[in-house]
Amino acid sequence: MTKSDSINSFKRLANIAQTIFETRGNNAKIKLAAEYFQSLSHDEDLLLAAQYLGEGAFSDVSGKRASVGHRTIAVLASEFCEIDYDLVFKPCRTVTGSSSETIQKLFNNLPEARAKWSNAELSLKEISEIYEQLYTTKKRDLKQQIIKESWAKMTPTEVKYFIRIMGQGSLRIGFETRSVVTAIAKAFGKDSEKVRYAHMITGSLGETAVLAKTDRLDDATFELFHPLSFMLASPIESRSMENFSEYIAEEKFDGMRCQAHISGKKVKLYSRDLNEITGSFPEIVEFFATKNLPEIVLDGEICVFKNDTIMPFQHLQKRMGVKMPSQYLLTEHPVLFVAYDLIYNDGQPLFDEALSQRRHQLEKISKENHLPITSQMEVSSLSDVEALFEQALDHGNEGLMLKRKDSNYEYGQRRKSWLKVKKPSGSLDVVIIYAHAGSGKRGGTYSDFTLGISVKNDDRYEEEFIPIGKAYGGYSNEELAELNKRIKQLTLERFGPTVLLKPELMVELEFEDIQINKRTKAKYTLRFPRFKGIRWDLSPSDADTLKDVERIYQQKIDKERTSQGANPSFIMND
Amino acid sequence: MTESVTINLYFGELENSNEFFSPKSYSLFMIRIQKAGHHGILLPELKIGLDYSGTKADHIFISHAHADHMPRNRKLTVYCTRPTARFMKLRGFSGKMIEMEFEQPLETDSARITLVPAGHILGSAMTFVESDEGSVLYTGDYRTPPSPATEGFKLPDAPVDQFITEATFSLPIYKWKSHEELAKQVCNFAKTSLSDGYTPIFLAYNLGKAQELMHMLKTLNHPMQIHGAGFKLCEVYVDEGYDLGEFETYNRDTCEGKILIAPSSAPDTGFASNLKKVRTAYCSGWASNEAQRTQLTADELIPLSDHLDFFELIKLCEELQPKKVWITHTPNPKVVEHFLQKVGITSGFLDVEALGND
Repeated sequence: MTKSDSINSFKRLANIAQTIFETRGNNAKIKLAAEYFQSLSHDEDLLLAAQYLGEGAFSDVSGKRASVGHRTIAVLASEFCEIDYDLVFKPCRTVTGSSSETIQKLFNNLPEARAKWSNAELSLKEISEIYEQLYTTKKRDLKQQIIKESWAKMTPTEVKYFIRIMGQGSLRIGFETRSVVTAIAKAFGKDSEKVRYAHMITGSLGETAVLAKTDRLDDATFELFHPLSFMLASPIESRSMENFSEYIAEEKFDGMRCQAHISGKKVKLYSRDLNEITGSFPEIVEFFATKNLPEIVLDGEICVFKNDTIMPFQHLQKRMGVKMPSQYLLTEHPVLFVAYDLIYNDGQPLFDEALSQRRHQLEKISKENHLPITSQMEVSSLSDVEALFEQALDHGNEGLMLKRKDSNYEYGQRRKSWLKVKKPSGSLDVVIIYAHAGSGKRGGTYSDFTLGISVKNDDRYEEEFIPIGKAYGGYSNEELAELNKRIKQLTLERFGPTVLLKPELMVELEFEDIQINKRTKAKYTLRFPRFKGIRWDLSPSDADTLKDVERIYQQKIDKERTSQGANPSFIMND
Repeated sequence: MTESVTINLYFGELENSNEFFSPKSYSLFMIRIQKAGHHGILLPELKIGLDYSGTKADHIFISHAHADHMPRNRKLTVYCTRPTARFMKLRGFSGKMIEMEFEQPLETDSARITLVPAGHILGSAMTFVESDEGSVLYTGDYRTPPSPATEGFKLPDAPVDQFITEATFSLPIYKWKSHEELAKQVCNFAKTSLSDGYTPIFLAYNLGKAQELMHMLKTLNHPMQIHGAGFKLCEVYVDEGYDLGEFETYNRDTCEGKILIAPSSAPDTGFASNLKKVRTAYCSGWASNEAQRTQLTADELIPLSDHLDFFELIKLCEELQPKKVWITHTPNPKVVEHFLQKVGITSGFLDVEALGND
């Protein structure tokens, strides 16, 4: 093995990822990655290394995926190790909370597996060819064969990272995109803001690393039809608010965030997670396409708008995920795109312009082309905010947004330049009926819970409690430890990673919304359920009932919505 | 003794069934073994209790002084090794303890009982019971190859008919590094921390693991301080002739720059919280799971266990070739049964709740 062979080997990347995982402190982790990036002399190796550490087998914007399911991988690994998937693999995975970690350990420990793999030191390029093959191959059995043959040429640590990279998710080494960006900047002596900018523009960490290395960060330019990460809002902490007049207020719509890229008749829509959703909303596409607009990118919200009223989110839900809506859906739940920001105008990115400046240009385009945009209201005190908040709720909106007038468009960041004021969400007293062993960093403890609502006096059900939702968070580490202790004592039955509990542990469950979901026993699901508190003081007889859930839902739907009237949430400009 | 196996007919009889525990009876024309709920194991005909706290045994043998094996009833009369007796007394057991030497059998009317070293912690013993109905070896907790801070590990000379084994780490994801590798990791962690100007803290269970660490660390010739609960137990090791190096009890005012050893709960209760520059190493078999790294805020995870790993367990069963293996102390008996079946060994699950001390 020559020296250059090992420098660009996948094994080296896997070992560095493992060392980063085992190293404490972000600066120390960044240093390790930076030194690694520096050591790669070939651009194509650097490109792959940065991409694998931060993005996955393919760059996020490529749209490519290896498309191999978790179960397929686990079953294949069981075959490779000559063990029974249900009898041996599953209990191992329950304990580690991670399929890939389980596979690494079994490959390392079992003589049957050891006999099959070898240390072939595949290069980064060879790995990229394997991922490419998996992408182009549609046949299941062929994919499986490719994976098995690849594993035979890797060490167990390589296999673990090969699987994690293939999943396009986090590598789970405590080193996320932001740190990879910083490591690239450090490796090549660049300003990390510039590197971050280039990453946002290119949508590829690999390309960004090469641009940084070759001194070409300035080449990264925004392109239409490449979605940009959204600027996000933080919850308001009124204590820290000093000068209200630095902010402008807008109503916060209970809709779906959307980025619209428009160039003449070509229109594309992207969701919060940067997926294309153009097909779901043909009336918006049609609306923009007929306007003969300059090349622009709009940030805004899609809402169902009918009879001069913004309809509840439940209506929009009927349109979400529907790739080709029927005429009925289009008539019954017509949608509208309300713009509130302009991030690109006629060849010029506007991220570095102040909000007031961007707004000025947005208003101009809106007036000339009759595009709906949000109403903006000046505020100077907390009482102004409170009054506007009430007005927003009257409109059926979620709350209020406060945006700093002088802020740039901080794509991909959640800072204090945008603040959201939301109405308090609902809560229910529920009982824990199942506990599930967590995965990832919560492996080995019961961290996910199925919560039950009482149907004891409900003729429609025979059970005492039925599930109303699952919650994964909102508790402290101490509370989780206490819960785990009690779970041991209350366990009635075990189903792999799940245990059935004697109903006793009461939780006050907070949620954002209630939605109808016919596939569940309760026929309702909660949106964003989380623990508000463990109620050691309550007993299962205090649990709220399904009737309570139904009542809250109905109240939401029936809530009177004032039509837009004199102080509208947005301006039609038509 | 083992050549004549008399037939003893008991088929699934249940005694003392109530809603909290249902003792299970097993019979295989051999010594009958009964799991007595959370009160250990009973050999009812021989009236022998193994880590047992019930009332139906004439002779109770305690394998070692970890809380989940000590009798719950503090007034019982029990048999155990000398170090185990001393540890139990220090940990609050007030019943009568009759000391037994390793490999010096005790004869009762119906059986002969021999303790053999288990390699888990100092004084830990496996109990070997021989009677007209054959033999039983009960491991308690054990480790092979043994911890160097123990009397070693030794199997009885006679064949074992029924082997009751703990299986704490009963999955093939568990395979330990050699003792030498682990000792190197332990010593390197202490050395590197000290030379970087940090005080190293080892988080480990205060009986057994703590002293094994000290036994490893003594080669550094650097003063150690051990948390109070573990300190008083060290005296037994020293009296039994084990060198634990230069150590004293933990003192908040003088602990800086020493090698510190404490149970894993200590950092939450202010242990060495006055020191700014510390590095912690968590030492446990469970440390081999990556999730522990994010759940604990330790700088180093050292997978040092005082139990044997999965592969050592299967190998030992193959060597012993008992007629039946009974598995205890594990949530995954089926995995062990499955692997034993592959090598032609019959096994079953004796359901004793594991309390999770490692």
